Amino acid sequence: MRVEYINPFVEAAYNILTEVLGGEIKRGELYLKSTSMPVMGVAALVGLAGDVEGRVIFDMSLDSAMKIASQMNGEQLQTFDDLAKATITELANLITAQAVTKLHDLGFRFDLTPPALFTGDNMEISDHEVEALIVPMETDQGKVEVNVAIRDRM
Amino acid sequence: MISKQDFPAINERPPEGLKADGTPYRVLVVDDSMFVAKQIGQILTSEGYEIVTTATDGLDGVEKYKELCPNIDLVTMDITMPKMDGITALEQIMAFDKNAKIVMISALGKEELVKKALLLGAKNYIVKPLDRKKVLERISTVLGK
Repeated sequence: MRVEYINPFVEAAYNILTEVLGGEIKRGELYLKSTSMPVMGVAALVGLAGDVEGRVIFDMSLDSAMKIASQMNGEQLQTFDDLAKATITELANLITAQAVTKLHDLGFRFDLTPPALFTGDNMEISDHEVEALIVPMETDQGKVEVNVAIRDRM
Repeated sequence: MISKQDFPAINERPPEGLKADGTPYRVLVVDDSMFVAKQIGQILTSEGYEIVTTATDGLDGVEKYKELCPNIDLVTMDITMPKMDGITALEQIMAFDKNAKIVMISALGKEELVKKALLLGAKNYIVKPLDRKKVLERISTVLGK
């Protein structure tokens, strides 16, 4: 996977998380995964299609998702209800849109799908023939892993 | 007893969301995200604006505008939405009422998209994440305050 695709996502994730959550955001070590991997409980997926194709997943535990949604709403949410889901979906949308705007400025042309949200225990993601790069971000509300798998269109 | 005179306002100003006659500006919010619609609503109502109604897709937005016109002073329009996107809805509302005041609100800040929206008649373009001050400033400029 080309590094030009990754940096905009890392920067956008850092910028947006800092802006919407406040507090200190720490970026962990990046790592590559090419096999199936477990997801933590709440995953927002955004598809990309155009000059490049792939997807970005924002993965977090239900506890972190609740804390993040509460912080973004400025109130303590009690259950992972429609508002909490819309909030996490919007977070994925904000980060992906800012990354795509940067990639667009660099000359790459592609569109986004609206985010789809998955929740549940013991979920696993399998991508065939595409490596995923994981960018862990530590926030005061918990860990968010940005999982990017993009390849040039064949 | 504490009276208002005990707390003199240094810079007393009327809320931005009110017209000269004291009635609120009426706003139609078009956004498919419950979170974003709530956020826009909170920012605007805190300054006295009235959210008349919310539409959850472009088509619903066009229909509600036609139904409520001329009793709508401003529309906030998302871009990526189901059924009809915000750019098409902008075009249709402008064709119906060339004086419509529409402000685009999107996470996408691609230059050509911003240009396209402004050329089609949008009065301003706000890139998310939303900042209270930025939203209020832009909207008050659009309303010529």
